[in-house]
Amino acid sequence: MEVGGASRVTSFLRRAIREPLLHFFAIGLVLFVVNGLINGRDEGPPGEKVVISEGRVNQIAESFLLLSGRLPNRPELEVLVDDFVSEEIGYREAVAMGLDADDTIVRRRMRQKLEFLIEDGAASEAPTEAELQAWLDTNPSLYRLPERRAIRHVLANGDKRGAAAKADAETMLAKLRSGAEPTKIGDSSMLPAAMPLTTEEGVAAQFGAEFAASVFAQQQKDWFGPVPSPFGQHLVLVMNVEPGRSVPLAEVRDKVRADWIESRRNIARDEFHARMRKRYDIRIEWPEPWQGLPETPNPQPKTRPIPEVGE
Amino acid sequence: MIRLAMAVCAAALLTACNDQAAAPVAENAPPATATERPAPNPLNNAYFGDLHLHTRNSFDAYIFNVRASPDEAYAYAKGGTIKHAAGFDLKMNSGPLDFLAVTDHSEYLGVLPAINTEGDPYSKVPYAKELFSTDQVQVNTAFRKFADTLNVGKRMEEYSDLRTVKSAWHDIIESAKRNYEPGKFTTLVGYEYTSAPQGRNLHRNVIFATDAVPELPYTALESQNPEDLWRWMEQQRAQGIEALSIPHNANGSDGTMYERTMWNGKPIDRAWADLRARNEPLTEVTQVKGTSETHPLLSPNDEMAGFEIMEWYIGSPRPITKFDGGYVRKALKDGLEIEAKVGANPYKYGMVGSSDTHNAAGSYEENNYVSKVGIRDATPELRGSTPPVGKTWANYKPGDNVARFSTWGASGLTGVWAPENTREEIYAALRRKETFATSGPRIRVRFFAGYGIGSVALTSDEGVKNAYANGVPMGSDLIGKATGKPDFQVMAMRDANSAPLQRIQVVKGWLDATGKTQEKVFDVACSDGGSINPSTHRCADNGASVDIKTCAFSQDKGDAELSASWSDPEFDPKLNAFYYARVIENPTCRWSTWDAIRAGIDPNPDLEKTIQERAYSSPIWFIPTKAG
Repeated sequence: MEVGGASRVTSFLRRAIREPLLHFFAIGLVLFVVNGLINGRDEGPPGEKVVISEGRVNQIAESFLLLSGRLPNRPELEVLVDDFVSEEIGYREAVAMGLDADDTIVRRRMRQKLEFLIEDGAASEAPTEAELQAWLDTNPSLYRLPERRAIRHVLANGDKRGAAAKADAETMLAKLRSGAEPTKIGDSSMLPAAMPLTTEEGVAAQFGAEFAASVFAQQQKDWFGPVPSPFGQHLVLVMNVEPGRSVPLAEVRDKVRADWIESRRNIARDEFHARMRKRYDIRIEWPEPWQGLPETPNPQPKTRPIPEVGE
Repeated sequence: MIRLAMAVCAAALLTACNDQAAAPVAENAPPATATERPAPNPLNNAYFGDLHLHTRNSFDAYIFNVRASPDEAYAYAKGGTIKHAAGFDLKMNSGPLDFLAVTDHSEYLGVLPAINTEGDPYSKVPYAKELFSTDQVQVNTAFRKFADTLNVGKRMEEYSDLRTVKSAWHDIIESAKRNYEPGKFTTLVGYEYTSAPQGRNLHRNVIFATDAVPELPYTALESQNPEDLWRWMEQQRAQGIEALSIPHNANGSDGTMYERTMWNGKPIDRAWADLRARNEPLTEVTQVKGTSETHPLLSPNDEMAGFEIMEWYIGSPRPITKFDGGYVRKALKDGLEIEAKVGANPYKYGMVGSSDTHNAAGSYEENNYVSKVGIRDATPELRGSTPPVGKTWANYKPGDNVARFSTWGASGLTGVWAPENTREEIYAALRRKETFATSGPRIRVRFFAGYGIGSVALTSDEGVKNAYANGVPMGSDLIGKATGKPDFQVMAMRDANSAPLQRIQVVKGWLDATGKTQEKVFDVACSDGGSINPSTHRCADNGASVDIKTCAFSQDKGDAELSASWSDPEFDPKLNAFYYARVIENPTCRWSTWDAIRAGIDPNPDLEKTIQERAYSSPIWFIPTKAG
């Protein structure tokens, strides 16, 4: 029973976490609170007074409902509200003491929030088909599919035939070209007799890089060879070539759209920073040891002591 | 109220944008042409991967300056380039792997990164500054706290909220989901259970069948007793979460990994043997920290037993005193003996190999070796392959740690035979032990046993089909027949990026008529047309050599493929036995020789100049039919 109950709650929470409405409320709450804190509170100018408005209490109850699936009872709500009072006072005191100014986490979070707003402003409009096409056209290499080839091969086993493997392979080639059945020619092996459409890298993993390079350089439609590999001399037939190609938008629309949005965000963020920087006079006081350093510092492995235990 | 309304509007905008941004991620699959999967191969393909790898989430990796994430580990395994802790690039020469499990230490998972994050509550622990200070003694003292609590299995109070364990575990799972490409690359969710009572290594990797895994890993800070880990795994299984545990570095356990007694000191009983076998089908036989197959003192008649032997405790310069109980072959033998006594075999292990790299990037290649503990062994000098500046080998005396690192090696990989590269199929192959281990190169080995399968060689698909249909593959039991003798079929293929093969051996262990265990190594296939001496069961030396000035090796020696149909000349249908194949490459340069050549000096005279890389198949167990 308990297990079932727990898993129901877990699955409820999992669903809740994916629920856009929950995101909506959560973000709304964050913005409301932040806005209130930055622009002054509903309750008037800062002072000793802390008023928790009706709206705020309702909101606290609401967030409890979202997490637990029911409204809090009075004692539960009291605890939550009391905690909010502590949070409010703690926050005011901390800001008054300037604790936010030198706290890395707070600073990073503030910057993140700012960038988040800027980036989202930039990406709020859906890209048009033309914009996506233009993006694809200017960045074809990001979406290019490498060439793939389907091959079959006949092996003159180097172990067995030694120096004669090459001459034997030439003889086999003549037979293959005159239509002999490939399964009846050559030596059996643990290598696959045929490979479906595979990239050069995939062929190299089994046959070695030299073999793969020769096979991918070959334009011949008929059997060709001998092509050497660590396994001997091969006769190869390229059965199918799927050229490396830039894909049409339809095949990669989702990825292009994601990349386009990402790029919009980055541009907006960078432009924002560039614009802001104009409003500041920036001066960096380089410490002595860094003043004369070449542009690329030499990474020294021993930058700090290494503990002598562990692994 | 106006402000509230504005906030709501802004929220609406943000959620809308979020949806927009999230949608492509969900549908991020590459276009159909790229995802079209090759049809499953009913005769199985060999896939290579690493089941043991650490990232910055591991407490020790982080202190070794490793900052690579699980995502970066997957990027490297897929053939990409990532950064070493010391700043240089890492990339494999032999192309991508087929699968990877990220197995960070579950104990203090994610804790060190948090301590080193300004503003994080963990950064307030009193020894935070010492841990990342510039004083060697301070760093040692602070870091030792972690190692010491692992030795006694007690969690430090300050991390009892498991905050970072939860978040890092979540990240590991998400990264595995993100990087899984069915048909092309398999990710496995796992972790390392880091039990080391009094420093004796009982570490295990726990590998899950799917990415639906428990909320938290069960760690050695819950219990150092592996029996408790298996019981936890049984509970998980009862809830539909399947996993297996893989012990590693038995060689560093000082004889405690494969004991003949239970945790409470009593002799192994049937329930215990079943529990262990059910949860622990595999064992790691080779990795960077040495070979755990066998030791020269345990296998005095196996002249190839002294391969990459590491005789130290894990993580400290303390020598091993007991080899019995720390090596797989002996455990396989003891398993037969225990089975005869209690009716179940706790040590019915299939073979896997892995790196245990703490760099998020395995060093599998001798000529591309950076060892495995970040900045601790990042340079040849730190790993004992070049003397310190201004010194020569003549007056060389390494420190304990450098001496230790010099005995480590470029290893290893797990091979599995599976119809296709999906998480389901890779895991199923691990479960049925259709696995083999290699010391780094991608040597493929097939191994079957059966009655009447001797006539069709594995060189053709027909042979493989016949072997599957009428025999059993590696990792299985062969049930004996009243009459006749089983045939063994074995075949191996070299790694196109490594060296040719020299021979295939079959290692046999058995329980003799007096109840004592025995072992014997038979060469069964020789390269270069060599023949086997019928009295010594050894191939003639194929004469392969290596020029240790350049590492060039003989091009005309060794074979690309070897195969044999073999039957045991000493077969006794009444005796329990196991057989596994060991494939031996021609000699090549050891990593330390490559380091020396690059430095333009002679190799360290105390280290082997060359090694013979190898692959080990999982055993096949022969089970006699009970006399009727």
